[in-house]
Order: sequence, then C-alpha cells, then structure tokens
Amino acid sequence: MVIPVFNEEETLRSVIVGVRTFLSQADILVVNDGSTDSTGNIAREEGVLVLEHPYNMGIGATMQTGFLYALRNGYDIAIQVDGDGQHHPEFLPSLITPILKGQSNLVIGSRYLLDGGFKSTLLRKLGIKIFTCLVWIFTGKRATDPTSGFRAMDRKGLELFSEEYPSDYPEVEALISADRKGLHFQEIPTMMRHRQGGTSSIGILSALYYMVKVTLSISIGSFRRVK
Amino acid sequence: MSTRLNLFAIIGSIILLLIIFELVRRKYLRERYSLIWIVTGAFFLLLSIRVDFLYRISNFLGFSIPSNALFFFGILFLLSIILGLSVITSRLSEKNKVLTQEVVLLKKRVADLEKSKNPRIQQNHNL
Repeated sequence: MVIPVFNEEETLRSVIVGVRTFLSQADILVVNDGSTDSTGNIAREEGVLVLEHPYNMGIGATMQTGFLYALRNGYDIAIQVDGDGQHHPEFLPSLITPILKGQSNLVIGSRYLLDGGFKSTLLRKLGIKIFTCLVWIFTGKRATDPTSGFRAMDRKGLELFSEEYPSDYPEVEALISADRKGLHFQEIPTMMRHRQGGTSSIGILSALYYMVKVTLSISIGSFRRVK
Repeated sequence: MSTRLNLFAIIGSIILLLIIFELVRRKYLRERYSLIWIVTGAFFLLLSIRVDFLYRISNFLGFSIPSNALFFFGILFLLSIILGLSVITSRLSEKNKVLTQEVVLLKKRVADLEKSKNPRIQQNHNL
C-alpha cells in the first residue's frame, strides 16, 4: 500500500485508519514528498513505513519511490491511494480482486462507472473525456477514468513502473505504457469523495499544461520501440 | 525575401522540429522542457511560410527593416531562454547539495548503526 503525500496533515490519519479497517493485512508505506507541514510526523506517529524525500520531487517521482521500495522488498501487489482522503477505502478489497485472480496486471478505480457516483466540474469532465479518447486511440481500450490515482498493480506492473514512470501527471501515460508492454488493465467501479482538506494540485493553467504535456508525451512515446 | 531563402528557412525549421522530436523520443529532452522548443520551431516554420507576418509585425512596431525585428526578437528570446536555464541550474545545484548532505548523514548513520549492532561488519568494511 503506497500513499504519496505532500502536505496532507488534515487527512492522512483518517486515510491510514481507513486502510487498516478495510485491508488489515496490507503494509502501509507513506512516501512523504518534502511536506512542509506535520504530515511526516503524523505518519510516524501512526507507526506506518515512511520514506522521506529531502525535497519536493513531484507525484511521479514519489510514486516511483514507493514502487522501488515495494519491488526491492518483494511485495507481490502494490496499491496506490491518495493521501487527501478522496478514495473510499471500502473499495480496496475489490481493487485487488482481479489481480489475485490473475485477470489483470493493473486495476484502476473509476469514479464514473457508477451512476451518479461523482459530480465534477464541467472542465474536469471534459479533460477526462479527452484522456479517455486518447487512451482509446492508443490502446483501443476503454478507460472511463484514466487520471484516477486509485489503482493496484501486480509485480509485472511494479517492474515496469519502477523502471519508467513519468515525473509529472503520470497516470494516463502509465496506463498506455503498461498496455504497450502487454500488461492488461481494467477498471472497477468506485466512489470518490471530494477532497477533505488541502488544495487540489491542479489549477486552470496547469490543467492546460496537463493536457498538452500528456498528449505530447503519448504521441511521441508511441514512436518509441517497446523494449 | 527570395524564394530560395524562403525555401531554406522552411527546410531549416522542419529540421529543427525533427531534431526536437528525436531528442524527446530518445529521452534526451524531457517533455516538460521540449514544449518551448516545439513552440519556437513551429513559430519559425510559420514565419518562413508566411513571411508577410514578419513584415506586418515589424511595420506595426516601427522597425525600419524587418530583419531588425527578427534579430531583436531572436535575441530577446535567446536571453529569456538562457535566464530560464540559469534558474533551472540554480534549482538543480541546490537540490544536489541537499541530496549530498542527505547521503553523507545517512552514511554516518549507517556506519554508527553497524558499529553498535555488529562489530564484525564494520571490520569487513574496513578491509
């Protein structure tokens, strides 16, 4: 269980408690990406595994640190849960079921598979629609929520992502690079809350950069040979 | 501008764009930093296809010769890129310093731990 955190002091504790309640057998690793508040202390008080970045390196590098730890310490499954509390921990068991059954290498919790599961702003819906289209163009598969940071992967996924994982806005690209490597991904319906505290990492300008960067990366990436 | 020069400019801009593409594909250039270069390449291409844009801009801003406008903006652009790179380098060297200090402190801590827990390991390290 990898929880990437950057200044999530308001929500981290309840996220950890939630994970413990619904998936008690999981080891919890908090990767603290140079938080300037008490996030790191909260994680240590809770007695979970903590890795600290000496400075802020971005979500991609933070997740990759977690993947590296999981890979080197022999974990078979890694789950990513955001530290801001928007993911419901009661969906954790269903998130790993397809992996345990050997059906998928990568499972993504989608907030759009349930009717009325999530109300988002028009702009976000549009952005996600565009990414869904991109994923469809480059993989031929449907992903209703390709930006979701609520996902689980098996060892194959860990091996791929600990080697290459984009440093900013990694979710959509990771999905496509997994598909190119022949890994199977699938979505399961989940619910998501609106963030409980802190501020979203995405403003309007960076949303634009997000779109351009991901589109660019994916298009150029499709010209790379698969190793 | 002569047609031949025009053609050279177009070919040059396309080559620039191809080089940028190849650099990103080989991961020598991160997507993040490639954006500004792609925009630049596209802008060059636009200017070489529609030279009249340059004439109009230069007229509008009151340059006596269009090439002056081109040089002026070229230099301005280069300056801003260099300034940006200096900022990035400074940030990198600061992070590099932090990292090195972290490693040094860790090394010391690991050595202390080994000494207190298992004297034999410490000896092996010294060999």
